[in-house]
Amino acid sequence: MGLLTILKKMKQKEKEVRLLMLGLDNAGKTTILKKFNGEDIDTISPTLGFNIKTLEHRGFKLNIWDVGGQKSLRSYWRNYFESTDALIWVVDSADRMRLSDCKKELHSLLVEERLSGATLLVFANKQDLPGSLTAREIREALDLDSIKTHHWLIQDCSAVTGANLLNGMDWVVNDIASRIFTMD
Amino acid sequence: MSSDAKTSSKKKEGFLRRQVKSKSDPVTEEELLKKDVVTPDDVLRLTKCTEKYLCPPEANIYGIDFTRFKLRDIDSNQVLFEVAKPAPTYENEDEEQDLAEPDEDPNSGRFVRYQFTPHFLKLKTVGATVEFVVGEKPVNKFRMIEKHYFRDRVLKCFDFEFGFCIPHSRNTVEHIYEFPKLNEDTIQEMVRHPYETRSDSFYFVEDRLIMHNKADYAYNGGTAAS
Repeated sequence: MGLLTILKKMKQKEKEVRLLMLGLDNAGKTTILKKFNGEDIDTISPTLGFNIKTLEHRGFKLNIWDVGGQKSLRSYWRNYFESTDALIWVVDSADRMRLSDCKKELHSLLVEERLSGATLLVFANKQDLPGSLTAREIREALDLDSIKTHHWLIQDCSAVTGANLLNGMDWVVNDIASRIFTMD
Repeated sequence: MSSDAKTSSKKKEGFLRRQVKSKSDPVTEEELLKKDVVTPDDVLRLTKCTEKYLCPPEANIYGIDFTRFKLRDIDSNQVLFEVAKPAPTYENEDEEQDLAEPDEDPNSGRFVRYQFTPHFLKLKTVGATVEFVVGEKPVNKFRMIEKHYFRDRVLKCFDFEFGFCIPHSRNTVEHIYEFPKLNEDTIQEMVRHPYETRSDSFYFVEDRLIMHNKADYAYNGGTAAS
């Protein structure tokens, strides 16, 4: 299971790590969360609240928060910023129509003070779909190269096949770890 | 009760510090029943399962309702147990629907009895999922403390803060954890004495107890005694 693999790498410094997964509705946040945890992904409905996974392993804790992305819910996102170590921004790479919306929402998060220390992972999801944009194209569309305030990485992935989910999460945890280590 | 946490001087270990506090400064159910407001610190100091409920069902003024519970074995990825509150339309569960509220016994929704096989006590890593809905009010600082006991021994204590819950939301939480390691004698005792394994689940909003649920457990399913 993906989470356990990640958590086993965590060191003494990071006793509790909190990841916040956001993105527009239908980006695949819940599917990523479930696939990564070895759960069935056949019956996922829109998230009208949050889904949390907490994992405890030898006294370490990893918490992942997936908050619904519908327009009516986005104003509540701010309630989940506190103590966030990493923001995982999930993009539907096949949804070309809403890329500008996606860019706007992401950049509005990056100016939030309570997310200022957070690592940013962008998942270019749905790579299994024909016509999906590549990670490079998403990177340009979201203007990621303008981000100087956060450590960031874009990772192409497919929540349905599970491809590259572990790579992305691995990078996130390593980045948090190095940051916490440097601060000490 | 284990004593390994007592001598610890690791100030940084919040969990241990909390354990030390809970052990050094115990409180009884009777004392807490007299209080108007029961706080997280209060229940953390309880040393055994309560006999009564520490708040009335009406304390839940937020319309928080648990609608699903699922337990899975992470190692084999098997669902061990799943129960969902029956929705009016069973086949096509609509997110917005209000679930029927049984109103006969006020405590009927607060107590659950589980029956497992002895195999359950040998599991290594399990995932426990709860799903709950929230009413029209926003909920701040929602926190769960769940204590599991076999007789007067604490087996496991969960302490988790959900924080904010969106009005009219449906939320899920899965806690994935390593099952406490039990020695063979304890396992045998737990199998031989059904329902002496019990748990209290306390739910707080802004540090005030608003829900108290209980469960008890048998592990003799499939054996001659059951």
